[in-house]
Amino acid sequence: MTQALSEDDIYRTSTQYRLWSFSPDALASLRTKTREIAVERLRRSSEQQAARNDEPEVVEYLTEDEELRLTQRYCDQIRSTSDHLKWPVHVKATAVQYLKRFYLSNSCMTYPPKEIYKTVLYLASKTEAIHITVSDYARRISTDPEQVLAPEYKVMQALRFTLDVKQPFRGLKGVLMELLNLAEGLVGAVDGADSMNGDEVKASMLQVRRPPEGNRTQWTPPSSGTLDGKHLNDRIQAAYSAARTLLDAPALLTDVYFLYTPSQILLAAMHVADEPLTSFYLSTKLPISLSTRPQILATIHACADMLAAFDQGAVLTKDERTALEAKLDKCRDPGTKDLIKAFAAMRQDGMEDGKVEEGVAQKRKAAREKNERDGDDLFGPSLPKTNEGSR
Amino acid sequence: MATSPALDVPPEGPPFKRLKTGSNGVSTASSPAPSHMADLAEQVDAQERQKYIKGRKLGSGQYADVYSAHLVSDPTQLVAIKKIKVGAEAKEFGISYDSLREIKFLQELDHPNIIKLYAVFSTKSQNLNLVLEQLPQGDLLKLIQDTSNITYTPADIKSWMLMLMRATHFCHANYVLHRDIKPNNLLIASDGSIKLADFGLARSFADPFQKMTYNTVTIWYRPPELFFQAQYYGGKVDVWSCGCVFAELVARDVMFRAWPENEINMVKMICDKIGTPTEDNWPGVSKMKGYVTPTEVVPLRPKEHWMAQFRAVGETGVDLLMKMLLLDPRKRLSAEEVLKHPFWTAEPRPSRLEDLPRKGGGMEVMGEDLKRRGGEIPNGGGAGGRGDKVARKIDFGAMK
Ligand SMILES: Nc1ncnc2c1ncn2[C@@H]1O[C@H](COP(=O)(O)OP(=O)(O)O)[C@@H](O)[C@H]1O
Repeated sequence: MTQALSEDDIYRTSTQYRLWSFSPDALASLRTKTREIAVERLRRSSEQQAARNDEPEVVEYLTEDEELRLTQRYCDQIRSTSDHLKWPVHVKATAVQYLKRFYLSNSCMTYPPKEIYKTVLYLASKTEAIHITVSDYARRISTDPEQVLAPEYKVMQALRFTLDVKQPFRGLKGVLMELLNLAEGLVGAVDGADSMNGDEVKASMLQVRRPPEGNRTQWTPPSSGTLDGKHLNDRIQAAYSAARTLLDAPALLTDVYFLYTPSQILLAAMHVADEPLTSFYLSTKLPISLSTRPQILATIHACADMLAAFDQGAVLTKDERTALEAKLDKCRDPGTKDLIKAFAAMRQDGMEDGKVEEGVAQKRKAAREKNERDGDDLFGPSLPKTNEGSR
Repeated sequence: MATSPALDVPPEGPPFKRLKTGSNGVSTASSPAPSHMADLAEQVDAQERQKYIKGRKLGSGQYADVYSAHLVSDPTQLVAIKKIKVGAEAKEFGISYDSLREIKFLQELDHPNIIKLYAVFSTKSQNLNLVLEQLPQGDLLKLIQDTSNITYTPADIKSWMLMLMRATHFCHANYVLHRDIKPNNLLIASDGSIKLADFGLARSFADPFQKMTYNTVTIWYRPPELFFQAQYYGGKVDVWSCGCVFAELVARDVMFRAWPENEINMVKMICDKIGTPTEDNWPGVSKMKGYVTPTEVVPLRPKEHWMAQFRAVGETGVDLLMKMLLLDPRKRLSAEEVLKHPFWTAEPRPSRLEDLPRKGGGMEVMGEDLKRRGGEIPNGGGAGGRGDKVARKIDFGAMK
């Protein structure tokens, strides 16, 4: 009667898998295509201008690499802004993926990230159930609310109206729990793996070699050399916390979400954090006979390499960003320059098109204010629908 | 995580299906105006929009107008296009939480008993349009209320409840709470199946440490833990609402129809019909922030008490109902446990879809007044409200 639904099944039906997962080649060619369209658009508009001015300007466009680095810089900006607002990590991760997805179909020359990143962060706050008005948000990050809202539809369109971002954080917590259980001798290996019972698992876990040089964990074995349960516990916690850090910067500032699944990403992060411990963990999970075992491990290792190779120092500095944006100013698409004006005009049309009756809006507002008084403003919005007299 | 979700998924995702240029008619050459070359997202959006021909209006709510539409490529393929209205609150929030939640969750949920969202597109004036499965047969509330034309059997109830529980379980397996399950959010498809709709209040419970609002779920279907202002809760809130729907299907009346509808009356009514929540039946309840109960403690109602009212679904059915409406959310069954209950395999078997009753008098006949509600009764409705004056009309002949 009950269908068994594995996380795997669920992931495969997700929009993240269906629309936002790529091979490295497909990802690269999509970006190339997007930039080509943007450049073609710019050429046409400068040709038109040249026809009027008869003074053809030579414009230098952003290279693909420059676009990527500028986008990455703004992903980092989202991270720090979200941290500044003290929002939970899933809001930040969602916002960063929104920005990265946005620039798969848009060029920085058409919509400079400076004008987009605040919008995606606000949108992510709404889809991740943070409750804040746009004016509060704008005030807290010292910007103009109109600027936040103007590109919102554009962003929705670029996101292809898919808003859910599957993340590795909950899965990582799951691995932490499993490791702690293994260390307690509470569970054995899966059938066909190293076929150990709980006590054997616990015993051999104590023997796992120390993390090699370069692993990110802060843990070092006791000077005596012999581990007890407490040491093992510390080791697991330290690996978890190093992995958690990796899921913040490198995982959000590289393309791993496009290329790998959340579980691959979290295992890769664990691998970079404490390779021997993670290999041991996987050896209890993957039957030796499993035909896909080598492929699974290779995928995790490839993702781990990508996370390990990430260098925070390579993110554009403020000066580099300024220089790049100066260049961008010269090749910026004039057709999309005044988003706010375009937005105001379109919103006017939209309002006339289908307007919510004033009384309803008033009622909703009153109800919302009541909820805010109930101290519910930051968590879980609860806009009662006024068509149901009772919420 | 077991063998780890998706461990064996190779890094190749499926191709970026609809963004593929050229092959499926999208190409840079077909851009609208010479000065404005559509970017890839605009092309996809325009292509989606052009797939449908909009027809007559099916209905209109406070948040949206809903139109019938069909595919250009196949006029027999009907859909419903829900065009979101731009409200005055757009100034404060931009695109509303309700629409964002509906879009976010329906995009991910693909299940035979959940309304299908085929696509979303925007129009020039920046309206969001949701292309939904067309469900022209009204909703479960209309069937429950139409006591003069519609009769249904316990087997029908079982069939509807099974579909509802499958939908709910599927949401929970996807870490989605619906938070507004009630008969008027269960729409009826032309094949007779029911579909859970209106995800405007849904949220994900992926992060168990994030506080959530307790001020959700239409009041009559809201579980006691929310009246006591629990800030951490899960799937059990939806199970309570499903239990209320179950009871309502049998009694053809709202289980907890507090009047006037306020929280105090709701708690009173729950105490009266189920029993007063106490430390004995719900350890820890007295320490909850909003814990207030009438001074006179009602002991938990025994099974015979329930049998008197819900005998129609048999002893197994009553057992299940009681377990869906357990006060303590920890003891209340989860959606999965509900599906494992013996009720579903006990006699009678759930009705087949084609045997389920359809709308009787027709929506037009029933008129606007039945579209209202979710709890509200027009002013002056008093404690009477619907259901009181009408005969209960379950087909007792079909019961054992
Ligand atoms: N999928 C659908 N198929 C057919 N009719 C629908 C559909 N969705 C909504 N409707 C009709 O449009 C009306 C308004 O829908 P909706 O905006 O969802 O309601 P509300 O604003 O009351 O929640 C409904 O009362 C119903 O008559």
